[in-house]
Amino acid sequence: MPAPRDFTRGLYKIRTTASKAPSDRDLFKIITDGMPGTSMPSWAVLPDKDRWNLVAYLKTLAPEAFKEAPKKLELPKEVASSEASIKRGKEMFEAIECHKCHGTDGRADGPSRPELKDEWGHPIAPANLTKRWTFRGGPGRTEIATRLAAGVLGTPMPTFIDSVEKPEDIWHLANYLASLGPERPSYATLITVTAVRGDIPDDPNAEFWKKLTPSAIPLMGQIIQDPRNFNPSVDLVAVRAAYNERDVVFHLTWDDPSESKGDGKQTFADAISLQFPPQITASIERPYFLMGDANEGVYLLRWEQGKGVGEATANGPTKIAPIAGGEAGGKAVYDHGQYRLVMRRPLAATGEARPTFRPVVFTPVAIQAWDGGAGETGTRMSLTSWYYLRLEEPQSNRRFVIPPVVAILTLAAMVLVVRAANRVR
Amino acid sequence: MRKVATAGSVAALVIGAAMWWAASVDAQGGGTIEADVKYNGAPKVEKLKVNKDTEKCGTETTIEHVVVGSNKGLANAVVSVPDAKGATKAKGAIDQHGCRFVPHVVVMQPGEIEIKNSDDILHNIHTYSTANPSINKAQPKFKKVMTEKLEKPEFVKVTCDVHSWMLGWVAVVPGLAAATDNNGVAKIENVPAGKHKVEVWHETLGKQEKDVDVKAGQVTKVSFELKGK
Repeated sequence: MPAPRDFTRGLYKIRTTASKAPSDRDLFKIITDGMPGTSMPSWAVLPDKDRWNLVAYLKTLAPEAFKEAPKKLELPKEVASSEASIKRGKEMFEAIECHKCHGTDGRADGPSRPELKDEWGHPIAPANLTKRWTFRGGPGRTEIATRLAAGVLGTPMPTFIDSVEKPEDIWHLANYLASLGPERPSYATLITVTAVRGDIPDDPNAEFWKKLTPSAIPLMGQIIQDPRNFNPSVDLVAVRAAYNERDVVFHLTWDDPSESKGDGKQTFADAISLQFPPQITASIERPYFLMGDANEGVYLLRWEQGKGVGEATANGPTKIAPIAGGEAGGKAVYDHGQYRLVMRRPLAATGEARPTFRPVVFTPVAIQAWDGGAGETGTRMSLTSWYYLRLEEPQSNRRFVIPPVVAILTLAAMVLVVRAANRVR
Repeated sequence: MRKVATAGSVAALVIGAAMWWAASVDAQGGGTIEADVKYNGAPKVEKLKVNKDTEKCGTETTIEHVVVGSNKGLANAVVSVPDAKGATKAKGAIDQHGCRFVPHVVVMQPGEIEIKNSDDILHNIHTYSTANPSINKAQPKFKKVMTEKLEKPEFVKVTCDVHSWMLGWVAVVPGLAAATDNNGVAKIENVPAGKHKVEVWHETLGKQEKDVDVKAGQVTKVSFELKGK
């Protein structure tokens, strides 16, 4: 997590000025809106006047920096987003080598990423350009263009206003960046497991998976049990799922800037797990969401870099025991800062430790993820609380039979009614 | 015996140089300061492997924290005479070549600096300064030259965030100044005759100051010895 601002330096990341100091409105906006992806909350609860007073006070903490009136940054004339503009933006993205830090696909996995330091020598991560909602200065096109033009002070992000081929390239770049991901994530509340007939592919890149709608599930750092994780790496997992007469299959996609098997000292194996109650009942009682406890365990369908897919039971995050006689399988691929993983398991299971999945039953599920390359292991993870998934009604040929039959019967009934009415006359 | 002989030959050289200079310098009424900077410690040059842009940067590089040449001479130290204003005001110049800053220390008077990128890949000029506004500008491959202003005297650290090992310094000095060569020697010419303070600065070893009396048409020698911190 970024350290709190040192107000005495007068050095601020987000500014709309061509000079070093931000404008009063820049400071006011940060106080009002907070800073996404950091600990800085929105202070919109305070009356306007108090927030402006705060701005005035902050400036007195760095009188040198605010001695001169800030110069407003003049952006080049706005270029509306279009296919041509996005294409030009991509060309510029490649020409000015944004990928050095932000990665080829913008997922913050560039080759210079591990070495980046802020003004104070602390490691700093580049922005994941596919997650605009985490941009510190806001996700809008104008906000992006402003960051490109003015840079982000105190960080490695330089100013590009003089470093593009033509000034309007700033807008082409902004339009391209805005095309890389949504402005806001639309988080799912329920994971639907699609019923299919026939095979479900193990290949995470198969067309089959692209056709299913993903459910985006947000993850938080684990901060209940020591050692805690205040700066979680994995903040979102997109879940797709399908089942057939034999298996239930999960497809998970998440961003991780490095593929890590771990050295066991500073880095560890990347991992992810889906958590279920050991038995799925109608009861509203569920095991403790943080991987169960001593009284009531959980079932985990998990994958670990180098080890593959397996099953385990857990009675808390430090008490994980693999289940022997594995029935699970799957495959993972890593591509430019992103994992795509398929995990499959038979629907039916025997014994106390493994749940059986049944259609139309609301099934509790939770997710845990570890970015081993960032030093995450054990209790240092990202996680969710309990969510629900639901296996769709099984598909059958009846849906092709019943509606036409009903239609024909209705028509027949109408004909009969009309005839009867005619006869009466 | 040997020492005497060396001293003798050095003296002869100095006299020779002084005689040569006398002709050209006399007209301006200035003298030359020859500073000899020594370091009584071990060099500190960090070696590291390069894992990106290797076609431009090579597979190995070094970070030159303390470079010590023959006879304990300290390279990359800046010797300056702050109160001796120079007649000409040349632009400073730094190049990014082979993913290194060339030269490691640029000496310039307050004003403009020309920043070159000869590497055909992205660099970013990121300066750490307090007196001057800090600069963090991208310099993509097609931007061969940029000009920036450093108007206040200061020793400015220069880095590149794309290539974290790149380290350079810009010495913005109001007076006459020069950086020491690999033998730890820096020559400052055309110093007005009279008493001056001579200052030496090194990026990790700090500063030292000495008084000198410069005589027109002569070479005044001054020696410094910097100590490890």
